[in-house]
Amino acid sequence: MAGKTKVMVASAAALTLGLTAACGGGSDDNKGDNNSSTNGASFNAAATQVVNASDKKGGTLNLWSPQDADSFDPAISYYAWTIDMNRLYSRTLMTYTPKPGKDGLILSPDLAQAAPEVSADGKTYTFKLKSGIKFDDGSPITSKDIKYGIERIFAQDVLPNGPLYLMQELDGGQKYPGPYKDKDPNKLGLKTVETPDDSTIVFHLQAANANFPYELALPGGSPIPQKRDTGDKYALKPASSGPYMFESVQPGKGATLVKNPNWDPATDPNRKQLPDKIVLTITTNADDMDARLIAGTADLDASQSGVQTQARTQILTNDKLKQTAYNPNNGFIRYAALATTVAPLDNAECRKAVIYASDPTTLQTARGGPIAGGDIATNMLPPNILGSDPKYDPYGRAQGKPQIDKAKAALQACGKPTGFSTKIAVRNNKPAEVATATALQAALKAVGINADIFQYDGKDVGTVVGSPSVVKAKGLGIMISGWGADFPTGYGYLAPIAMGKFIAPSGNYNLPEINDPAINDLFTKGLSEKDANAAADDYKQANEKVMEGDYFVPFVFDKALNYYNPRLTNVYFHQGLAMVDFASLGVSDGK
Amino acid sequence: MSLGPEAPISDEIVAPTDDAAVERTAGEKAIAGRSLRQIAWRRLKKDRVAVGGGIVILVLIFIAIIAPLLIKLFGHPFDEYHNEKIDPTLGLPLGHLGGISKDYILGVEPVNGRDIFSRIVYGAQTTLTVAFLSAFLSTILGVLFGMTAGFVGGWVDSIVSRIMDFLLAFPQLLFSIALVSVLPPTSFGLGPRWSRVLVLVAVIGFFGWPYIGRIVRGQTLSLREREFVEASRSLGARSPRILFREMLPNLAAPILVYTTLIIPTNILTEAALSFLGVGIPPPYPSWGGMLSDALQFYRYDPMFMIIPGAMIFITVLAFNLFGDGLRDALDPKAH
Amino acid sequence: MLAYLIRRLINAVLTLIVVTFVTFCVFFLVPKATGSDPALLYVGKQADPAAIAGIREKFGFNDPVIVQYGKFLKGLVFGRDYVSGADITHCSAPCLGYSFKTSQEVWPLLIDALPVTVSLAIGAAVLWVLMGVSFGVISALRRGTIWDRSVMTVALAGVSLPIYFTGLLSLSIFVYWLGFPNPSFTPFFDNPWHWFTGLILPWITLAFLFAATYARLTRANMLETLGEDYIRTARAKGLRERAVIGKHGLRSGLTPLVTVFGLDLGALLGGAVLTEAVYNLRGLGYYALNGIRQSDLPVILGVTLFAATFIVIANLIVDLLYGVIDPRVRLG
Repeated sequence: MAGKTKVMVASAAALTLGLTAACGGGSDDNKGDNNSSTNGASFNAAATQVVNASDKKGGTLNLWSPQDADSFDPAISYYAWTIDMNRLYSRTLMTYTPKPGKDGLILSPDLAQAAPEVSADGKTYTFKLKSGIKFDDGSPITSKDIKYGIERIFAQDVLPNGPLYLMQELDGGQKYPGPYKDKDPNKLGLKTVETPDDSTIVFHLQAANANFPYELALPGGSPIPQKRDTGDKYALKPASSGPYMFESVQPGKGATLVKNPNWDPATDPNRKQLPDKIVLTITTNADDMDARLIAGTADLDASQSGVQTQARTQILTNDKLKQTAYNPNNGFIRYAALATTVAPLDNAECRKAVIYASDPTTLQTARGGPIAGGDIATNMLPPNILGSDPKYDPYGRAQGKPQIDKAKAALQACGKPTGFSTKIAVRNNKPAEVATATALQAALKAVGINADIFQYDGKDVGTVVGSPSVVKAKGLGIMISGWGADFPTGYGYLAPIAMGKFIAPSGNYNLPEINDPAINDLFTKGLSEKDANAAADDYKQANEKVMEGDYFVPFVFDKALNYYNPRLTNVYFHQGLAMVDFASLGVSDGK
Repeated sequence: MSLGPEAPISDEIVAPTDDAAVERTAGEKAIAGRSLRQIAWRRLKKDRVAVGGGIVILVLIFIAIIAPLLIKLFGHPFDEYHNEKIDPTLGLPLGHLGGISKDYILGVEPVNGRDIFSRIVYGAQTTLTVAFLSAFLSTILGVLFGMTAGFVGGWVDSIVSRIMDFLLAFPQLLFSIALVSVLPPTSFGLGPRWSRVLVLVAVIGFFGWPYIGRIVRGQTLSLREREFVEASRSLGARSPRILFREMLPNLAAPILVYTTLIIPTNILTEAALSFLGVGIPPPYPSWGGMLSDALQFYRYDPMFMIIPGAMIFITVLAFNLFGDGLRDALDPKAH
Repeated sequence: MLAYLIRRLINAVLTLIVVTFVTFCVFFLVPKATGSDPALLYVGKQADPAAIAGIREKFGFNDPVIVQYGKFLKGLVFGRDYVSGADITHCSAPCLGYSFKTSQEVWPLLIDALPVTVSLAIGAAVLWVLMGVSFGVISALRRGTIWDRSVMTVALAGVSLPIYFTGLLSLSIFVYWLGFPNPSFTPFFDNPWHWFTGLILPWITLAFLFAATYARLTRANMLETLGEDYIRTARAKGLRERAVIGKHGLRSGLTPLVTVFGLDLGALLGGAVLTEAVYNLRGLGYYALNGIRQSDLPVILGVTLFAATFIVIANLIVDLLYGVIDPRVRLG
């Protein structure tokens, strides 16, 4: 259980950083034909198909980002876009299939010859490596390099902030301190990972876990040559196993990648090597970046966080610009959590009053409107996850208006007919979240619920709303939040925010502190199902139970409006990466 | 000038009277039989520009006081959402010039459709309260420490002077941001709005006092050696009496001028802090905060930027005009 | 003269020590009061207790404030080793420590940001001195004319305009309406032309604000000087007007400006927070603001030290210059 809690905290961190490793969009406009491609761009085409399919080589791909990379060290990279960048130079045993639509959620062999051999008890995974795989310096990639790469994740004092899934999965009670403090002469002292020969690697897990291959597909599972490891400086010159290698890395400014001559396309069906060069430029001026995208001097916002308000207006009011813009669901839901420990919201009727009094349309507008903000959310499972149903709308939110009568009736039932006072907690560094907080505040006022806005520092998420004792002491009845899963399953999405065992003294993301045995049982059942559809049905029921408990006010199924340079080829939104697949991109004009 | 970097420190040099002026004023008083106050008032009345500034200030104060009534008559509650006035896709106000219409005389805010007129009027309340109270605080501290330093002299003077020098060499804007952002959002049982006003007053007022303190100290130093002070001392008057009955009235003119001139700077500082995101918390309005919100929209909804910007400009200009006039009126050398 | 210089230098260093110590205390005590732990900031949210303890030991967060401050000073002068078990990280002098947020060394970070702020401040300073002084002098010489009145009106409007408003106005007019490129920083040695075009808008906006003040100041000083007896004497002895103004009037009329200019420039070099915020330039002010928002103590300390150093040096230079320009002042 302690281990699970840590897994959850890790995904909480992913959320804090505003990213998600594995979740995607598409939703209902995903009309089956996933593998189609087109050469004529039209609005949102890239969300469901490959736009401008081409094998034209040459030129420079100009990526820009208004946000600095967390790190290019595969053990640390955790932003969705640096994970995507990693695919250019870090190969893993398995990786997401490079296809639009739901096919992208499936893993394909990468360095491994084939999918792993799993023991009957589900605890032992054996991979065989391909032959002819090499690092950028020409030396062969062996199973020991992969083991060493995974061991580095354990060195949290030197390489902090990365995802910890593999560390928690593979420690097995050894308390392995990482290779830098390893007493083994070869620095390969992690006992749960065996390398019987250079092309075989065996993992021993404590318990069966169907998510394990997904964990290995994170950059932390990529090979790292021990002789080139420079500890916390490794991010400045990472070795390459993929189609591109770093020419230079300048933290806070950008990076340049060039073709890796030792990458053999015959061993790698998942990536292309089209541009001669990939230049990443970090800027502090997001408006300037948007202007460059529109002018064509930048090709793509690598962070994929969506264009700024002014550029949004410019793009949406210009048909030509609109053609190469897209806004798929990104797997996040924005919502307010209602604390069950704060009176009078400990009474479900009072929570119901908040839900009915909220105005779905002002909340949607505050998030950026239907195109750049997202669709009005009706329940707590995002559309890209099996078992979700956007039409399931128990509170009638899709019609877009507050329901004052129902809210007043709920207040009556709660014993507070004239309303009550509470607080709305919101991070101060997210303008859109503050905007939703004020929108909610204004709507609640109409039924006599007076909510003060309590702003806190964004970095303190884990110790303010993430601390049940603080929530109770400060009376934070309503907490503005957002959530995206690291793995695209109902368990991965909903359990951390609605399952009793995830309630933690700090870094908590089960904000309402839901601990309903019926809900808990459904999650446990779902995890043990062999069939994905059966599991999906469990999660569907869990979602319904969560909605019936009146714990959340869902705002929107999140979307971001992004724009790409029309000269880009092979553009498509990858659901597994939750963004455009960088490793497929090329430029059509060869410049 | 209370807050360093991007407000020029320079104005203090042109600021108030030196002792020669005070002396000559005393002389005029004897000849004409009119008090300094009367002379200054006559001069001020003749200065049409200064009077204009004064009238604008009075109007603004009046508006701030009757804000609730004004909003009842001409506006909507400052935190009321009007989504029907907003284009849902773009978040921009419907209609021309940021949604200006008969019902919304200054238009509506993008995204939420709140009435800009109401928010400007409430913003005036906040801005003027912060500006006046912090100027008051600076003056009290400045007079207290400046007079003590100048009058007592010796080690007290060197300590106070050192502290003033030190505060002036301090990256003040940064410190204000840091202090404001860590102080608790509510205190003394006040709501979030007035608690933050209090914090702003304390921080802006505190960093402003050395500017007044230095002037007062200099004036006190020179007054201390004057005949009338000596005379009073030889008659057996004690220090407090000399300080408050003899010297303070002579310091009144520069103090008044200086306090007036520090108000516009305080307005700019308050707006700057709100612009940088540490001012009045939402949903309460402030002009600087509105400008900061306008950052996202100024290209397609310029009125949302121009209206609060113009309000800051007009208010600061009015105070500057009035302060300049007051200084000229109290300083005979200017003629 | 030498004794004076040494005394002033010692004074300057003392001031810097006090400024950094106060900064240190404020930002050390404030997080304590609000209950956030610097070690937690450094490792992020998901680290296990052992890693947090390691970080605490490595950066000395367990020591009392005064010891931590001592280590900070030592690092600044001699460099510093961060020890955690067998792992030693050396940070060579001048060491300002590592950012809690990005784990990068602070000194190189700020040295990188310095050219942005220096370019911004110096460029604007050249403009505002040229504009402010020339308009001020002409206004003084043509006192009461239409020219004088209009210049003074514009100047008064100028001092009443906040830079975060004129900045936005300039952006909407020049960048979005007339299509000039967005302001950005290119190092001078990379491409002088891009350096110039990228900064011209911030320069003009910033210079306008200061030029307004300087024009008012110059005019007032010039008027005072022109009323002095020795100017009348100079005229009486038959000197041509140009010589009277150029040789006597300007010299003593502009002397007070030197003080003001030194202080303004010093303050601006410490980070033009608002200008950098409006135009999205990554100078010292940007890092200061970011540091404060993220409670990144090493960065805040570093910027404060830089800013205070500039102010103190500016004061020193102004005092020394005064002795050269104004013969009445004797240093000693």
